[in-house]
Amino acid sequence: MTSGAADRPLTLESAATAFIAWLRRLLRRIPIYAFLILFLLIVALPFISISLAAFKTSAELTRGAFTLPAEWRWSNFSDAWTQAHFDWYFRNSAIVAVPVVAVGTLLSIFSGYAFGLMRFPLSRLLFALFLLGIMVPQEAYIIPLYYLLRGIGLVDTYWAMILPQIGMSVCFGSFWMRGFFSSFPADTLDAARVDGCSIWTALWRVLLPNAGAAISTLVVLLFIWTWNDFLIALVVVSSDTLRTLPLGLAFFQGRYASNVPLMAAGAIIVLLPTLIIYVLFQRQFIQGVTSGTLHG
Amino acid sequence: MIDSSREMQRGNRLRALIPYLFVLPAFLIFALFVLLPILDTVRLSFFDWTGFSAPNFAGLANYIELWTDRLFITGLGNNLRFILFYTVFPIGLALVLTAVMTRRRIRGMSLFRAGYFIPYVMPMVVVGVVWRWIYNPAFGPLNQALGAIGLDALARPWLGDFDAALPAVGLIATWVQYGFCMVLFIAGVQKIDESLYDAAQVDGASAMQQLRHITIPGIRTEISVALVTTFIAALRIFDLVFVTTRGGPGDQTMVTSLWLYRNAFQINRVGYAATIAVAQSVLILAISAVLLRFTRTSDQEEVAQ
Amino acid sequence: MFKKQSVVLTLSLVAVIALGMFAAPLAAQGNTTLVVWDNLVRPEESAIMDALIARFEEAHPGVTVARTAKSTDDLKATTALALSSPDGPDVAMVNQGQSDMGALVAAGLLEPLDDYAEQFGWFEHFPAGLASLQRWTPDGMQMGEGDFYGIPIQAELVGVYYRTDLFEQYGLSIPTTLAEFEAAMATLAEAGETPLVFGNLDAWPGIHLYSEIQNAELASREWYDQFMFTTGEVDFDIPENIAAAARLQEWIANGWLLKGFEGIGYDDAWQLFSAGTGAMLLTGSWLSGELLPGPHGADIGFFVLPALEEDGFKLTVGGTGYDFSIRAGSPNVDLAAEYINYLYSEETAQALLDAGFLPVYPVDTSTLEDGLVKDIVLGWNHLNSTDSVGYYMDWVTPTMYDTITASLQELMAGRVTPEEFVDVVNADYVAFLLEKGVR
Repeated sequence: MTSGAADRPLTLESAATAFIAWLRRLLRRIPIYAFLILFLLIVALPFISISLAAFKTSAELTRGAFTLPAEWRWSNFSDAWTQAHFDWYFRNSAIVAVPVVAVGTLLSIFSGYAFGLMRFPLSRLLFALFLLGIMVPQEAYIIPLYYLLRGIGLVDTYWAMILPQIGMSVCFGSFWMRGFFSSFPADTLDAARVDGCSIWTALWRVLLPNAGAAISTLVVLLFIWTWNDFLIALVVVSSDTLRTLPLGLAFFQGRYASNVPLMAAGAIIVLLPTLIIYVLFQRQFIQGVTSGTLHG
Repeated sequence: MIDSSREMQRGNRLRALIPYLFVLPAFLIFALFVLLPILDTVRLSFFDWTGFSAPNFAGLANYIELWTDRLFITGLGNNLRFILFYTVFPIGLALVLTAVMTRRRIRGMSLFRAGYFIPYVMPMVVVGVVWRWIYNPAFGPLNQALGAIGLDALARPWLGDFDAALPAVGLIATWVQYGFCMVLFIAGVQKIDESLYDAAQVDGASAMQQLRHITIPGIRTEISVALVTTFIAALRIFDLVFVTTRGGPGDQTMVTSLWLYRNAFQINRVGYAATIAVAQSVLILAISAVLLRFTRTSDQEEVAQ
Repeated sequence: MFKKQSVVLTLSLVAVIALGMFAAPLAAQGNTTLVVWDNLVRPEESAIMDALIARFEEAHPGVTVARTAKSTDDLKATTALALSSPDGPDVAMVNQGQSDMGALVAAGLLEPLDDYAEQFGWFEHFPAGLASLQRWTPDGMQMGEGDFYGIPIQAELVGVYYRTDLFEQYGLSIPTTLAEFEAAMATLAEAGETPLVFGNLDAWPGIHLYSEIQNAELASREWYDQFMFTTGEVDFDIPENIAAAARLQEWIANGWLLKGFEGIGYDDAWQLFSAGTGAMLLTGSWLSGELLPGPHGADIGFFVLPALEEDGFKLTVGGTGYDFSIRAGSPNVDLAAEYINYLYSEETAQALLDAGFLPVYPVDTSTLEDGLVKDIVLGWNHLNSTDSVGYYMDWVTPTMYDTITASLQELMAGRVTPEEFVDVVNADYVAFLLEKGVR
């Protein structure tokens, strides 16, 4: 391949060619950007409207969804945070979500490893049981679960939200990590075995360093599901002091049906942590994807 | 000799235990807090039970009732319709986005990615509020936009319209669900060997050809996870319908999980709700087994090659 | 490098477990804690409750009232489970009707309150027509007989909010017959106004609209009493109910309801009315507190939908809010009864009225100023003096809510005829009569 204009003397002609080439590259990209931006507008419009609503007064709402507020009312957020107890709810959600995601991810890595790369009797049966956990809707077994938790004295505690949600997380987690491990290039793994890696060191030295994308995806998904869980928290917890954000938000909706701006501010408070987690973790592996492209 | 062979045997036996040790911690928590309640649900499906009184054994009565339960059958039909919006559209859309976003350098990429993922992050309560407003016939932006471009004839009370309600709810599902597929696919693309694309470029393969012959085969595992998961999501759809139409108008958006919820929490028929759950799960199980088998066969083919 | 970072991220998350896992729940302990659940979540109601509880605690040293307010949906989903638990709430708000109070009584989860009612003299100040809704036979199948299980503090009736300024502008007065009401809607429609603001996306508002027309057609209370108490004597497929369904379809065909009502939620509908859309809104008295502070609050009045003929008899959909009931097996039954007695008092009633809500406990209304609240109180007094407080018909069988809401949406969309509509509803009703063994 020619290595570009630098070798040749700078003439009007070559500058024009370079310009045209640049223009062509640009033009070729316009449809892509147009597509990306248009699509972003379509999918983010509801979010934009709710963000704007969070800064308005109730009266301003009727004037149209995409008009700017006359004055940016940050007080809606502080009202939601303090008056509507979103500070507690936030804390409760964090106390539940962090252990669920951490333990759920770790246990899923272990079980996914076994299911994906080891052969053992009953593995298919055990895996099928985990799949059952993905397939059966929560509404179906929430009442037996409630009685179980009551029987062991956990109703109305954080444990009643944490333990069942770990149980649900490992279902998808095992499924997802098994997919990752089983599609891992066999030759890399064989090479590690030849080098004398044990099962344990193969996991930590060979597999996990390549599992960044799979693990951060799992973390993001488990976090979203746990953070937004409604039904389990509704049924197993009754004290106001243990309510999580989605419960608080639903309660809020009943309570301030007429106060859409406050509701919108509450929604943003619920939504932001998940979005931040996503951005944080996505950067981890997408950098890998794109840097690979650039080097190639 | 004997000693060492014993040792070896013991070592082998220990080795054979290793996979179980890896599965055990996850399985214990799962078994206690998910599997046990699910098994209890199966037991309850043979009872008449309000959820708080003494249960009465009912034999197969619940299952016989299910067979002729108009709402269950209507719900099941709607679940199948929702597959189009939960599985087909999101996976297609996510494939396009993955192709566009992973093969070239784009300014502001992280903004786009975060933006595209927002719908999946929104709590369902908020999704309901926002979309009920978008579809609102009196002041919602959808009908206003149709009016502005002279398409008043298309305007309708979307969520309350007998013909439009299911597609209207379905589009929300697509809007929510594609971000999930997109995340899975982007994670999968990372594993693809870069040299495959280089070779393709040298051969002058178009972007479309690269998508078809490299990207899609490369993320087949992720596609199958997305397929199974979104498919299950379509068959157990609940909260989206609950926050938009609650099954209406009439029974146009009734789905099995909503009917299950009403039985369990509104009309105190927990036993019958368990029966619905069992039937629904058996169905999901059967179809997932077919899907998983399908993907496993292709794994083996790859090994054979 | 991202790879290492991922592992580090995961590990640091694992480290955080320790923190999360050992954060133990907090529990407040007083000498005696009375746990109460209610659904009074709107800001004004909630503030009244908090103030009342503070005064109750002051009068009862050593007693802490732990109040949990839950939205109606959440309360519905969790009350029964909680009442069956040995550490459930001592006092909970329970809806009337077969699938709520009836089912709880059948499961033995509620404390009979007859002795307390006598001790505190509740019935001396309780509208007679309402007393039978809280009585259930032990099997939870028959309302109106058996023990007394709860007492409500708020009353409600369904009627028509109207814009006094628009009525004046178009020369309309409060209708005294259903025909006049329809004429008013015709006048408003001709003038380009929306006569009746209504939104049925949530499906339950349709019950109120249909029932009010039905009440006008019935012109007596015998049928409805028989129907609601499921005596087995009456069916739903009677000419009056068919006529009411036909009239509802006619109103829609005439364009008298808000355009697009099928896709408009209840809250959206009343907020449109509050913001100035339309001339009338048919819904419950519970909205007065929300409508008064609105931009047209001073120009909103309230009347009860009139009977077919002038001064004719008509039931009006209404009754009470949820009942305060006591969990059977509560260790604080006496204290709980005292709490309920405190809520069912003149003091509480006056506090509710002052905030614009309608109390069940009879209060002095002579000092009320003209306006929306007075209209509603007068309407309620009229219903009580003529014994014409009607029913929410969705209580009648456990499945009626689903049946009636879905079939009303079909009816309003013109997908079924009035005759087909009453047949569907009647099928649900008869199935319950058979199950109950009165057919």
